[in-house]
Amino acid sequence: MGKINGFLEIQRESSKLRPSEERIKDYKDVIVHRNDDKSQEQAARCMDCGTPFCHWGCPIGNYIPEWNDLMFNNQWQKAYELLSATNNLPEITGRICPAPCEHSCVLSINDEAITIKENELAVIEHAFKSGFIKANPNIKSTGKKIAVVGSGPAGLATADQLNKAGHRVTVFERDKKIGGILRYGIPDFKLEKDILDRRLKLMKKENIEFKANTFVGVDITAGELQKNFDAVCLACGSKVPRDLKIQGRELKGIHFAMDFLMQSNKRVWGEKIPASELIDAKNKEVIVIGGGDTGANCVGVAKRQGAKCITQIEILEKPPECRTSNEPWPYYPLILKSSSSHEEGCERHWSVLTKRFIGKDGKVRKLECSKVEFSGSSEKSCPVMKEIEASEFEINADLVILAVGFLHPEPKGLVGDLNLELTEFGNVKTDENFMTSKEGIFSAGDMHRGQSLIVWAISEGRKAAHHIDKYLMGKSNLPIM
Amino acid sequence: MKLVSEVGVGTVAAGVAKGHADMILISGGDGGTGAAPLSSIHHAGLPWELGLSEAHQTLVLNNLRSRVRLQTDGQIRTGKDIAIAAILGAEEYGFGTAALIVLGCVMLRHCNLGNCSVGVATQNELLRKRFNGKVEYLVNYFNFVAEELRKIMANLGIRKIEDMIGNTELLDVNEKILDWKTKDLDFKDILYKPESKSHGGVFYSKPEKHDLDDILDIKLIDLAKNAILKEEKTKHNIIIKNTNRTVGSRLSGEVCYVYGEKGLRDDTIHFKFRGVAGQSFGAFLAKGITFELEGMSNDYVGKGIFGGKIVIYPDKQTTYKSEENIIIGNTSFYGATNGEAYIRGIAGERFCIRNSGLLAVIEGVGDHGCEYMTGGRVVIIGKTGRNFAAGMSGGIAYVYDIAGDFKSKCNLGMVKLKEINRHDSKIIHSLITNHYKYTESNRAKEILQDFDNMMEKFIKVIPSEYEHILKTERKENLKQWVKSIVE
Repeated sequence: MGKINGFLEIQRESSKLRPSEERIKDYKDVIVHRNDDKSQEQAARCMDCGTPFCHWGCPIGNYIPEWNDLMFNNQWQKAYELLSATNNLPEITGRICPAPCEHSCVLSINDEAITIKENELAVIEHAFKSGFIKANPNIKSTGKKIAVVGSGPAGLATADQLNKAGHRVTVFERDKKIGGILRYGIPDFKLEKDILDRRLKLMKKENIEFKANTFVGVDITAGELQKNFDAVCLACGSKVPRDLKIQGRELKGIHFAMDFLMQSNKRVWGEKIPASELIDAKNKEVIVIGGGDTGANCVGVAKRQGAKCITQIEILEKPPECRTSNEPWPYYPLILKSSSSHEEGCERHWSVLTKRFIGKDGKVRKLECSKVEFSGSSEKSCPVMKEIEASEFEINADLVILAVGFLHPEPKGLVGDLNLELTEFGNVKTDENFMTSKEGIFSAGDMHRGQSLIVWAISEGRKAAHHIDKYLMGKSNLPIM
Repeated sequence: MKLVSEVGVGTVAAGVAKGHADMILISGGDGGTGAAPLSSIHHAGLPWELGLSEAHQTLVLNNLRSRVRLQTDGQIRTGKDIAIAAILGAEEYGFGTAALIVLGCVMLRHCNLGNCSVGVATQNELLRKRFNGKVEYLVNYFNFVAEELRKIMANLGIRKIEDMIGNTELLDVNEKILDWKTKDLDFKDILYKPESKSHGGVFYSKPEKHDLDDILDIKLIDLAKNAILKEEKTKHNIIIKNTNRTVGSRLSGEVCYVYGEKGLRDDTIHFKFRGVAGQSFGAFLAKGITFELEGMSNDYVGKGIFGGKIVIYPDKQTTYKSEENIIIGNTSFYGATNGEAYIRGIAGERFCIRNSGLLAVIEGVGDHGCEYMTGGRVVIIGKTGRNFAAGMSGGIAYVYDIAGDFKSKCNLGMVKLKEINRHDSKIIHSLITNHYKYTESNRAKEILQDFDNMMEKFIKVIPSEYEHILKTERKENLKQWVKSIVE
């Protein structure tokens, strides 16, 4: 335990954000990361519970009380070793994980949770700074070759784990750069890309082979993969976005969130986008449909591009600000989240249904919306949505971003070629060992689980790696978590 | 009486039942406080089922079962647990962890640290405010437990819980859920149902007769009435027998009831006994009560004494040498906290164990004297047994080392042996003077006649840490004194 009674003496204190007016001028990290002393002081609040629920809340089972204690006692190296035992990308989860662990922190029952996410970041950044982290290429080789398709968090975690077990791993990525959603989907102000490059450099030094710009199913067929590799892991994400098929959808100026974010990220690192494809929010009235994390990222990007005004609308009711009795501790509660992007200036509306897009000259100009209410929610049935009579209204819009979630992986291409069995939701179906309906082909991450958190992708990747290793070698020393 | 579940607990339970216990608790190893070390939580203790069935069977076979209530505990949580416990012989069931969790415990396992963040195991006002439990939660929980038990009983065709107790025909082993390690175990003995020989009953039906209404203390309280109510000095002569046990405890209770912990002025109540006292003579004797015994006593003299005075010397008609003969039994003055004791004769083993404040003079002790002592002063003017002062962390013992072999008998793990200084000899002198005054001891007389020379044969036994504390305290007092003069 960091400090007996530490939680009574020290208040929770998170890192500060850069001032709004300053940070919207660039794409740099919005957070001013705190120093190690501050992190150690915060670690002192950890109670080292006999039954640590943070372990349970964390999908990868991070040894949270243990490394909190170690960092408090200045044993950073040991803290790092313990952290990296369960997490392949701590510098990434330390920045952008929604931290389910903090919601299940025992202290959060009647106090504020430990700043677990930031403590994690402190450990890993201290480790990088102090040179604890060195590429450690495997000397022993099993002689087995594994292909990982997709270089998002699930793909990277799978590759890292399998590489540690001594297999020869090749990661395929269809885009120009490695990183998947971490590279293309998360704006720089949440995750600067040199953080990702630093990790990839390490993985390359550890002999993981990365093949970017290689579209499996086009540049290389699924059959070739099967022939050339002992096992294949598909971690291609849940790429098909949910669409809003209402009147006026064909109008210009209506885009999917991921297209918008990808372009923006490319522009930040200096790629040229042809004028005909350019999605730019400058001087526009921007509407973001969808109140989730992706929507929030779109708000932040639009603000930085110089939007005239930004409105975010969400069909569901405004969530409560604190936990309700329906979602008791230690469950992950659906409560109102306000990100840095919201602070930077945007209007937010809830219980708003978009009925049609109104355009002029083929371009979107307005949204027709109405207010809705929900009723009859019970354990067995979803709440029923009802439009409130005569509540229609219109909002001006030059640019509409659809951030209403993702459905499932792309059903054509690789999945179609391999003729993989799918679940009722369209995700790739696997057995309990993460193996798809095709022998030797595994799947992990959103492609298998459906859209979810990065930390769940890492968890999936680690589990899949264990099963792949076991499939190839008969047993596995890789952790099951 | 709480007994741990283990092999052989049946014999202990039978003994306890014969000793007029009202209730016997067979405690299993699965439960326990969060303050326990992990090694104990994981590796100590046995399941309650083993101990309970053995205790129940032994009590039934010996015709003792109907005299005691049998309770069990150790992670009992559900109606099914109660049903099994009842069938194995229990009629009371202890709930610890489950009930605490219902009230908000989250098993922090910090109970020993006083910083329970949910306010369950703490006295800290700040933390207690965080306690969120309600009585209703417990009521709700136990309703569910009772409901489940009722369903099980209905399934078994049982109307009353008494019909279940010891009725092992209702219980069987589910072979399907046994794993490789447990599948070869023989559960026959646990499920054995003994015949009650003379129809003594298989559950609690005859309340214990304690025969406490005519014990000696009732008479003592009556005789000391004026002393207790009006603080008048009283003195009485009483004949005592070895069936008079725990003499003085109830009387002390009455004194405390009126005067609280501070008791009466010294010697307000003086009883002079003659004869052989039974066990626990003068146990928990309160301040203001003096017990003088001419004769001898069984074990546990002055157990937990907290302010009273006990004087024991041999019957005046005897001719043997008191300093060579045992006069009181084992484990005397166990856990004494305050008071005085002058014993003309030798004590058995374990004299003054866990004494924390008693002043005692005695003419010899058996093995393990002054073990775990934390305070008080003990003067031994005679031989000691081996392992003297083991684990002693406070207090001082002064030993008259006639044979010159004391060092070999003392456990030097925590204590140092020192010479007597001037301050010590003053204490010894006053205590031995008292001893002579009360008991007319020959040994005391010899010492007092040639006190300064005799002091050379005394050895001071003092724990090193305790000595250090005393020194710092003395320095601190001196500083305070100098300061007060300067000012």
